[in-house]
Amino acid sequence: MNLLCAGISHHTAPLDVRERLWFSSEEIRRTLPLLKPLGVGESVMFSTCNRTELYSLTEQSSIPSDEIKKILISQKSADGNVQESDLFTLTGGDAARHLFRVASGIDSMVLGDVQILAQVKEGFHLATELGTAGFFMNRLFQLAFRAGKRSRTETEIGDGAVSVSYAAVELAEKIFDDMQKKTALVIGAGETADLTATHLRGKDIGRLFITNRTQSRAEELAAKVQGEVVPFDRWTDIVHDVDIIISSVEVNRFILTAPDIERLLDRHGSKTLFIIDIGVPRNIDPDVKNFENVFLYDLDTLNLMVEENLQKRRAEIPKVESVITEVLAELTHWYSSLEVNPTITALTQFMENIRQEELAKNINRFDPKDRELAELVTKRIINKIIHAPIVNLRTEPEASLSDRLQKMSAIQKLFGLSRTSKDGSDV
Amino acid sequence: MNNLLNIALPVFYFALVWAYGKAFFSDKAWAKHVKRTILVSTIAVHLFALAYRTMVFRHPPVTTVFEIFTVLACSITVTYFIIELRTQRKETGYFILNLAFFFQLASSIFIKDTPVVPEILRSPLFGIHVSFALIGYAAITIAGAYGLMYLMLYHEMKAVKFGVIYKKLPTLETMERMTFTAVKLAFLLLGVAILFGFIWLHQAIAHPNYFDPKLVGTIIVWAMYAFLVIAKTRYSWKGRKVMILSILGFLISLFSMTIINIFFSAFHKFY
Repeated sequence: MNLLCAGISHHTAPLDVRERLWFSSEEIRRTLPLLKPLGVGESVMFSTCNRTELYSLTEQSSIPSDEIKKILISQKSADGNVQESDLFTLTGGDAARHLFRVASGIDSMVLGDVQILAQVKEGFHLATELGTAGFFMNRLFQLAFRAGKRSRTETEIGDGAVSVSYAAVELAEKIFDDMQKKTALVIGAGETADLTATHLRGKDIGRLFITNRTQSRAEELAAKVQGEVVPFDRWTDIVHDVDIIISSVEVNRFILTAPDIERLLDRHGSKTLFIIDIGVPRNIDPDVKNFENVFLYDLDTLNLMVEENLQKRRAEIPKVESVITEVLAELTHWYSSLEVNPTITALTQFMENIRQEELAKNINRFDPKDRELAELVTKRIINKIIHAPIVNLRTEPEASLSDRLQKMSAIQKLFGLSRTSKDGSDV
Repeated sequence: MNNLLNIALPVFYFALVWAYGKAFFSDKAWAKHVKRTILVSTIAVHLFALAYRTMVFRHPPVTTVFEIFTVLACSITVTYFIIELRTQRKETGYFILNLAFFFQLASSIFIKDTPVVPEILRSPLFGIHVSFALIGYAAITIAGAYGLMYLMLYHEMKAVKFGVIYKKLPTLETMERMTFTAVKLAFLLLGVAILFGFIWLHQAIAHPNYFDPKLVGTIIVWAMYAFLVIAKTRYSWKGRKVMILSILGFLISLFSMTIINIFFSAFHKFY
């Protein structure tokens, strides 16, 4: 199969190189049509913060990989900053396997990443819209989506949080039933606090208070996550109304101590309090965790949790690879079934079977001396019927590979040839 | 036939617990597929066994402790089935059905044929008393099971050990809510059972002993659930201590149903 994948990823290039080859949807729209003159029949492209990949199906057997690389670089005006050697190329089955690995999340920087499948889908839909994804790419990407979906449902490659901020939210979800009825307080407005607040909003947290020494940063974050700002010297006033506390500020003493919690529980009765301390040095007195129904986790705990989850995900890679091998076998089978000669043989055999069957049923109606003639005539009829399609299939060099594959598929579907392959399995 | 069913029931319950255990701890796909079928089959066989026993001995199987155990096992299983159908949560089955298995096993080992029923057990009041008590005990058992699951998850989370319990069980809040629903139900049903028991007692026995250990034990269990309901609703008790009390309530009621009933009670034994 004349499939080429040319791209750049975190495996092949550092961020400062990758970012120069990041394509927006609009840039992809401009780039894909430029590949046609190179003999590219179909193409799909997607670009994320960790990778930019272009899949193309070429008409000629020698794939113009260097030209394609040049186009990618020149479209981003990255000549001089990005070398052709920064881009990788894969062809045929290797390219297809790579796509399936990407869709399954095992090629991602964050192993088992769930977002990549959506990004691949987005790239495919864009190509469909542009008309550069045809018969072959449609099948290839549908199989890639299947590989991605199966990997997530049949293995645990996407299980468990693999970032500190998400691990914090995942822990909260194991305690609280309905996040919409809960109130969270985020102390600090740094990167981790920002990510955690974003995840909490993503889980539809009921009320989200943000407090920070620099109020303007708290206001910025609050605007981003639809939160409410509390002045830094007043946050203790609302602690009794809060179910979740995320603290990530630089302090040289505990901002919440065991006696504080004791007073809180004495005054407001028993309550479940979930506290995440991601500050270094620690923001919350570790003794707080000794109180009943108070759950305190620090950065070490979250890091440990993330590492354990990553290990579990790594252990799932062989299972995902098995899924990919199965899906790849499906693609190979489908593709080889669409080759010209097997299709012609199957069509001829199909017609011959009908001829023989009907002749056997009606042979006694013929006079014995006419039977040989009947055999001859029916053979001629069949040959004449299939002559035109066979010639058409064999002698249309100007048709694109995509068109030929589509034609092959149409014939197989029309005559019911595609139901079973040589080994009897579905094609 | 009765003996055959008596042997078959613990076997069914064992298969049920085994399938739910395999699905919970080992994530076996086959176990996930067959466990619902085994659950439905077990309930069907159990209901048939109860109907058959009722037909053969001409009275419902609620006249001895071990007859009550088999009905209790069936009630727990049916209640769990309803919970599973309504919530589509199947992770708690292993823990609840283990208790049903325990009751059925004890029943199958110790149950005796009771062809003749004492006249005092033919009262409709007795029927109401037993029915409410049985569903009440099923609620107590389920509250205990959810309480136990809550504590297991609570300690796993406090100890920062995120194993299979953490991964599979519902949230702490869900289990607390389910426990408290079962506790409220247990309190209500046991209260009605005690009320009808008192009325029936006066009709059945001329001079009943109000300090009979069984009676005292049941009142203590009921008082404990009353305390739990008040503590939770009025004083906002929540979390670990509520769960500990619900487990304690289950253990005391089990003790009351078995040891006290068999060895110390005077009037609550009819054979």
